[in-house]
Amino acid sequence: MGFLRLALTNLKRHRTRSLLTIVGIAASVAVLFSILSYNRGFERGLVREFQKTGIHFMVVPSGCAHEVASLVLHGAIIPKYLDLEVVARISGLDGIEIISPLLVAQLPNTQKNRVDLIYGMEMKHLRIVKPAWRVKGSVPEKDSEIIVGSEVAAHYNLKPGDMVSYPNVKTGFRVAGVLEKTDSQDDAFTYLPLSAAQQLLDKPGGATAVGVKVKDPELVGRITETLTEKVPGIQIVTMNQVMNSILNLAASAKALSLSIAFIAIFISAVGVMNSILMTVFERTNEIGMMRAVGASRADIFRMVVIETTMLTFSGGVLGIIISLAGSRLIESFVRKVMPYVPSGEILALEPGLAAGSIMFAFFIGIASSLYPAWKASKINPVEAIKG
Amino acid sequence: MIELKDIKKTYRRGAEEVHALREVNLDVSRNELLAIVGPSGAGKTTLLHMLGCLDTPTGGSVLIDGIDAARMREPDLVNVRRKKIGFIFQQFYLIPGLSVFRNVALPLIFSKTSPDPQHIRSLLRIVGLEHREEHLPSQLSGGEMQRVAIARALVNNPEVVLADEPTGNLDTDNSEKIFELLRSLAHKGLAVVMITHNNELAQRCDRVVHMKDGRII
Repeated sequence: MGFLRLALTNLKRHRTRSLLTIVGIAASVAVLFSILSYNRGFERGLVREFQKTGIHFMVVPSGCAHEVASLVLHGAIIPKYLDLEVVARISGLDGIEIISPLLVAQLPNTQKNRVDLIYGMEMKHLRIVKPAWRVKGSVPEKDSEIIVGSEVAAHYNLKPGDMVSYPNVKTGFRVAGVLEKTDSQDDAFTYLPLSAAQQLLDKPGGATAVGVKVKDPELVGRITETLTEKVPGIQIVTMNQVMNSILNLAASAKALSLSIAFIAIFISAVGVMNSILMTVFERTNEIGMMRAVGASRADIFRMVVIETTMLTFSGGVLGIIISLAGSRLIESFVRKVMPYVPSGEILALEPGLAAGSIMFAFFIGIASSLYPAWKASKINPVEAIKG
Repeated sequence: MIELKDIKKTYRRGAEEVHALREVNLDVSRNELLAIVGPSGAGKTTLLHMLGCLDTPTGGSVLIDGIDAARMREPDLVNVRRKKIGFIFQQFYLIPGLSVFRNVALPLIFSKTSPDPQHIRSLLRIVGLEHREEHLPSQLSGGEMQRVAIARALVNNPEVVLADEPTGNLDTDNSEKIFELLRSLAHKGLAVVMITHNNELAQRCDRVVHMKDGRII
């Protein structure tokens, strides 16, 4: 039997208190680990998603870069439109490989008392604009074919081959494919070939944005400069700017969340300190006895530090388990509240991060044990064993 | 073995100066069961703590094998307590979550010694608890708990056993058993000092020291 066994025995004597302290630390570590893990997953997913896309920059009506970022990645609604002339001018520039106009809008459907979210795009550019998508069925080849997001499909019980109708269109649309769940806003859209969307929304030749791929990526700077000079009322956002903009947003969110996590950890650490201090006071006689039978001040100090770090270490491990067990729930919640989240798994077990979080809990244990351990080591055995 | 020379212990309680011990002289020798008796507040426990190097005197010397413990640093005093002294308390102070075996082995954690199961079992045999090795303190009677505490006091093979009212919480039968145990330890070569309020037990000790107002009378 050594100090570890003795510490474990002491903790087991106050099971409920120890358990509650462990749960407090576990909750804080779970929050910390989830934030760090989510942030790392987010950055990795974002880079992966941007690396896959073949678009070099987007041309949009002058406005907010964040709206553009959302539009580029997951179809945000921007109530401004580019006209035909812009597309024609871009086409006229040298070095352009692909121009892919996008039209995104809401379509009120009074017949069915609902609002449909419409996303018009050149279906031949689907793999470039939406590289991460997996479609069940096929990609539309005709103007009368569409793709529906997974939420739309689930809501209206649609599957490939079904027909969808809108009040201002005589002939309906055939569902060519159903987008597999992306856990993003993409799931709520109906995707139409661009010309069909323009007709449906009564915006002939209109586009919310134009995605552009250039022949030589090194010429992006020169081409965007030329475009800005020649075409008024537009804003050009390169994919790097979009990525940086999102990363900056994510970094701000991370800083805020980490501040909250650290406050939670601080409160837990105070809870741990309080709990250990209580056990020290309750065991004053016992500590006096230990001193009488040969324990030095350092032995008592060490015993209390071991008890505390055992608590926080267990809390750290439990926190990681809770975080991993609830990762799907956390991820689906975050996807609902965040304007953009990269597709694919974001929260995953990262051994380095998990070990780091547990070690952090361990050091919190050491830090919060110092005062109770010092108090315990200062107990006067003569006073203590008098009872 | 242990010799107290002109020991004084004075401390303050508010504005009042309390003389817990006044020029106390005492020899504690091997093969002797020594009883300390006296009314409450006479200084019996303070004297026992001086003998056990738990407390330091305001004046005088505590000679342990000729070395003055009153001038020792704390780590040296800890070493003396580990190697030479065994303490027994009225309230036993067993650790509730530890078995009898582990309670007896507790001081070995602090002396950084691996417990020798044979040694601990032999101690349990001496105190008559070899069949209770795996029991928890809550499963023992008061007399049994005190016998565990005696085994714990002996685990480091001390030369002196100091017992502060070891029978204070026990009935007559158990008091008798504990007393016989302490007497047998003294007759096996240990120095045993026992504070007691039980005059009948005190009279059966090898020597009785009477205390009053911090003095041996």
